[in-house]
Amino acid sequence: MLAYLVRRVGLAVITIWAITIVTFIILQLPPGDFVDAYVAQASAMGTAISAGEAAALRHAYGLDQSVWVQYYKWMAHIVHGEFGQSFEYGRPVTEVIGDRLWLTILLSIGAIIVTWGLALPIGIYSAVRQYSIGDYIFTFIGFVGLAVPNFLLALIIMYVGLRVFNVSVGGLFSSEFQLAPWSWAKVWDLAGHLPVPMLILALAGTAQLVRIMRANLLDELRRPYVVTARARGLSERRVIMKYPVRAALNPFASTIGYLLPYTVSGSVIISVVLSLPTVGPLLLHSLISQDMLLGSTIILMLGVLTVFGTLLSDLLLMWIDPRIRLGQLK
Amino acid sequence: MSATTAENKVAVASQRQLIWWRFRKHKLALVSAFIVAAFYLVAMFADTIAYTEPFDTQSARSYIPPQPITWFDADGHFHPTVNALKGKRDPRTFKLSYAPDPGETRDLVLFGHGYEYRLFGLIPTDIHLLGVSNSRPQDALFLLGTDQLGRDVFSRLVLASRTSLTIGLVGVVMSLVLGVLLGGISGLYGGWIDVVIQRVIEILRSIPTIPLWMGLAAAVPNSWTPQQVYFVITLIISLIGWTELARVVRGRFLALREEDFITAAELAGASQMRIIFKHMVPSFLSHIIAAVSLALPAMIISETTLSFLGLGLRPPAISWGVLLQDAQNLQTLALAPWLLVVALPVIVVILAFNFLGDGLRDAADPYG
Amino acid sequence: MPNLSRPHLSRRGLLATLAASPVAMALLTEAARAADLAASGLVGELQGPTMITDPAKWPTKFQEAPMLAERVKAGKLPPVAERIPAEPMVWQPLNETGKYGGTWRRAFTGPGDVENANRINASDKCFFWSADGSKIVPCVAKAYELSDDGKTYTMHLRKGMKWSDGSPFTADDFVFWFEDIYGNKEIVPTPTTDMSPQGKPGRIVKVDEVTVRFEFDVPYYLFEEMMAGDTLIGGGQSVRQSQKLSFGAYSPGHYLKQFLPKYSSLEEVNARAKKEGFENWLQMLHFKKDWSLNTELPTLGPWKTVQSINNPIWLLERNPFYYAIDTAGNQLPYMDKVQLTLGENLEVINLRAMAGDYDEQERHIDISKLPVLLDNQDKGNYKVHLDLGFAGSDFILQINQSYKADPEIRKWLTNADFRRALSLGIDRDQLNDTFWLGVGTPGSPVPGESMPQNPGPEWRKKWSVLDVRQANAMLDKIGLAKKDSAGFRVRTDNGERLRIQIVAIQAFMPFPKMSEMVGDQWQKIGIQADVREMERNLATTRVRNNETHIYTWNNGGTELLYLFPRHAIPVDPTEAYMGPEYANYYASGGTQGMKPDDPNILRIWELFTEAAGLKAEGRNHNAQEIWKILADQQYGIGTVGQSPAGLGVRLVSNKLGNIASRVCNAQHCRTPGNSHAETWYFKA
Repeated sequence: MLAYLVRRVGLAVITIWAITIVTFIILQLPPGDFVDAYVAQASAMGTAISAGEAAALRHAYGLDQSVWVQYYKWMAHIVHGEFGQSFEYGRPVTEVIGDRLWLTILLSIGAIIVTWGLALPIGIYSAVRQYSIGDYIFTFIGFVGLAVPNFLLALIIMYVGLRVFNVSVGGLFSSEFQLAPWSWAKVWDLAGHLPVPMLILALAGTAQLVRIMRANLLDELRRPYVVTARARGLSERRVIMKYPVRAALNPFASTIGYLLPYTVSGSVIISVVLSLPTVGPLLLHSLISQDMLLGSTIILMLGVLTVFGTLLSDLLLMWIDPRIRLGQLK
Repeated sequence: MSATTAENKVAVASQRQLIWWRFRKHKLALVSAFIVAAFYLVAMFADTIAYTEPFDTQSARSYIPPQPITWFDADGHFHPTVNALKGKRDPRTFKLSYAPDPGETRDLVLFGHGYEYRLFGLIPTDIHLLGVSNSRPQDALFLLGTDQLGRDVFSRLVLASRTSLTIGLVGVVMSLVLGVLLGGISGLYGGWIDVVIQRVIEILRSIPTIPLWMGLAAAVPNSWTPQQVYFVITLIISLIGWTELARVVRGRFLALREEDFITAAELAGASQMRIIFKHMVPSFLSHIIAAVSLALPAMIISETTLSFLGLGLRPPAISWGVLLQDAQNLQTLALAPWLLVVALPVIVVILAFNFLGDGLRDAADPYG
Repeated sequence: MPNLSRPHLSRRGLLATLAASPVAMALLTEAARAADLAASGLVGELQGPTMITDPAKWPTKFQEAPMLAERVKAGKLPPVAERIPAEPMVWQPLNETGKYGGTWRRAFTGPGDVENANRINASDKCFFWSADGSKIVPCVAKAYELSDDGKTYTMHLRKGMKWSDGSPFTADDFVFWFEDIYGNKEIVPTPTTDMSPQGKPGRIVKVDEVTVRFEFDVPYYLFEEMMAGDTLIGGGQSVRQSQKLSFGAYSPGHYLKQFLPKYSSLEEVNARAKKEGFENWLQMLHFKKDWSLNTELPTLGPWKTVQSINNPIWLLERNPFYYAIDTAGNQLPYMDKVQLTLGENLEVINLRAMAGDYDEQERHIDISKLPVLLDNQDKGNYKVHLDLGFAGSDFILQINQSYKADPEIRKWLTNADFRRALSLGIDRDQLNDTFWLGVGTPGSPVPGESMPQNPGPEWRKKWSVLDVRQANAMLDKIGLAKKDSAGFRVRTDNGERLRIQIVAIQAFMPFPKMSEMVGDQWQKIGIQADVREMERNLATTRVRNNETHIYTWNNGGTELLYLFPRHAIPVDPTEAYMGPEYANYYASGGTQGMKPDDPNILRIWELFTEAAGLKAEGRNHNAQEIWKILADQQYGIGTVGQSPAGLGVRLVSNKLGNIASRVCNAQHCRTPGNSHAETWYFKA
């Protein structure tokens, strides 16, 4: 077991290193660099930056060096536990990201819990009572949730909130706490603001999970051992919960590691609309302004979380499904 | 037919017949099959069913609400007509309002004349399923209203179905094939192949989709037509979609490998391929069907995100995602909520695909 | 067809039967539109506070905001009389003397949106424009003289004026900027043309504490306008020294010296940079001199940053040493704070605006939401004003004259009749009704008739009225008569369809959708337009690489051609949509880029270059000549302009006082800058 863990952690480190390279390459794909984006943005705002000045900026920010030198410098920073400068913000990347990473993780985990809390019972119900009215209703609601883009959904909620209930939806803090240091009152304020974005984030995911849970459980319920169990007169509850549900959870376990980047990707647009201080909008913005180090650091952080999430999910898989033995996970 | 003869019939029926009987019993699946077929018919005859050129703009038609049809005339005879509309922009509120002009009615006619097109890309014609007498349809007929540019929503929806139901589906199929194949290989062979595939998946999954799209979209050459761009974007979306399925399939394979029936098949000398497709895949068919019915809406929704990044698709590549994107603004919610109707066909088609899938899965296991 | 039963349309129908000319019809439409707009009650009169320049009328006793009085009492600030210059800027507010206090709530879109508050802080410019945008008025400096030969410009500062940290603001701050910032090749590698007429560098000289002289080797009469305009030299500290820029004529030398190698050593400043988390001293300097990032930076405007732009709230607070007072002797501004709240999406900002979440907002308000915004006026307790602009076109199709990747396409893009036909094929009334809700003025890109550089009313319609018949005839005549089966004209080299690409990005207005409509209209003249929506960086890169056929943008700012020429003529390579290679040629003095073979462009350059050395009358004459060429040649096809579409849909809370019914909506007015927000106040 220990040897296996060591092996997996070693692999994880290599994967993360590979992610840093892929990230750097992908971020270099769009034409131009930060200074180009900067000049474009400035001119859209009505400010002129001359060609000579652009060259000077490029030099000041080391963008006139080759990609690999830039990569090397970034890696050197990482080894020292920092991530370099955000070009646009003019501050160290870690300072720019600040609380956002934790708020993102908080929001994502919240959304994941809501998703699972809703999806598993509904999925089990839908499978056991296949083709019942309830099954159809959940199916219908689920697909409506899937077919409405998050952006539209968030906008509708904000609009309805304003027009009908006269409340301003959005943000994770009330304005008086926006700039305040952390305190219990601020935590309480945050707790009050979390549910709406959490629910919106969870909605599409829930529909998806319900369908998958239902499908897997149906596959399991058809298997001979279930028939045998029933024939032996086991209670229906035991028949279903003991093995089929556990086996149906297998696919969930194998994707649990991705939930975090998945929720973060999915939350970018919602965060933009609802003005949530998560890393999503920051990532989007850094990509548009080609703020290399900020963008690649956010991606790297998500990458680390994913890789360790996957490791976690493999371990979970072994625990849930005893058929998978260590030997097979080489 | 007596009970015994029916039983005998079952006993001697071929597998295919059994599947068909079983499927037929699944009423909802049957209905769904018809709905899916109907959608594809619409896509095939899109130009005939649409009555207005989907790109025909006209400011005097901006934001017309869905138009009611009068089915019977004053004498109670079946005689579908629509009223001509009179539009007006209020100089104080700047809102456009349309009132029916009771003096001017237009008869709805079947197989009327409209814009010219080529049926199946070959036969030039101007016959459309619906038309109006004594007027151009684009000036009189607005079954689902119009958008900001005065384009007919119904016609646009119909034409967009063609893109979404064809090119959109290609992407879904691609990610399905990739997912099952690579996931299967990874789970079945294990060892270094598994390690490599798993790492690739891990890297792809851990990079958020937005930078991937932006990077790849920038690489699309300037000279490509909108349709080509659309196709490539679909491919890009699907290239990321396969990983999740692959992980699940691998997990299932790992579990199934130890099952007795697989061992039995191996001992009986069945080939690898046969084992995979005959014995292993069917045991998690439900999952695959669920994954496919989830991938289609995801594909359509992804398009709306692209527009957000300034990579939006422009005509003539209109798709449901593009139409949905057009509806995502404040003025639509407040002034033209009918534009949200675009979500409806998406929901219907996904539900139909899903129930059809359910029926097929049940039928594939006729003894179950 | 559903008739828009507006009077002008029915009249138009009547005239059509009388076979009236397209131009006459357009004029009628315009008259009706003006009547409609007047009926809306949303367009007011250009107005603003009045500047009192006669020292005899200045107050002698001063009051200050309660929040500052407290600090004075606590001994943290000198008394108000010592903070105000001996020669202050004195305002008679628009309606009445205001009350102190309150926070102005506003929206911004992130660290890229510095312009948002640069503009409300625009009183840190040396000179500015009157409320109607027509006259140069004093601002930071109180007066100037231009020598007869146009080579010397002498500027007089206000005696006793101070930076926001209380240090004196003097001629030394101009010399510091000129020698240590502008003169440092590492910070500013290439001198700006603003300071180098005809490529001959000018000088800044200190005469005494409050007198600064700008000296040039050649006549530079234009310089008075440059100092007042939104230019590199005259823009002021907020805009010209934020966003990593290093222009703007003056800098707080007493503060910035500590970050320059010259005043210590390279090692020392670099070590300090490392310590504070910067890579090198230059990066540190760019941060330190940016008023939106550095809360310690001394500034001159009414408000200064107390919470930097890098946060969900960008917070500004009154500058205790601000140099303006009202006629009652109250130090301005009235409002204590400006709180800009992050809204990363325009739909969200407009939704919040609708809810009354902002006290005054004209930036990021979308004209297509006007009906919704009007609907919610009572509920949100605000009023909507429409501030019409002066630029000719809020949506202009710039045709790349230096395009060369495809010789066939080049042949047509550089053909004047081809461009004219494209212009004649656009139905501007359609665009106006759909995207401007009918409030714009259709026509060519020439500036509004009230502007001194307008060449005359007839040029508004030049080649810029829908005339499909003439357009088709012209296209047939130039050799594009052959069409394919779908009715589109074909290339003359290989017989395939001629496809013209329009690059459109989602910017001030929905350019991609507007281009779609134009593309649809061009079908009637047999031209296939492919609209490509792109991400902004990608689009500008393609422009720079000379890959675009047609690029869509607005021409805001060109109403005063010399202050902001780049959206009218190809002289500035940063944004040369109508010919990047030509602009490179012009800017490099002929060493780079492509020399135009079109004599009209060479003539434009000649007129433009000559203008800097001409007095106002001559300059305006040259500008009119340039506009005549532009309207006749149609390098940029104008559509609809002089509208409130850019920064002109203004929402103002009913709680605010001294608000103008119409503010000057133009680049040089730094909208809403020259309506002087420091004189606005909360009534209750």
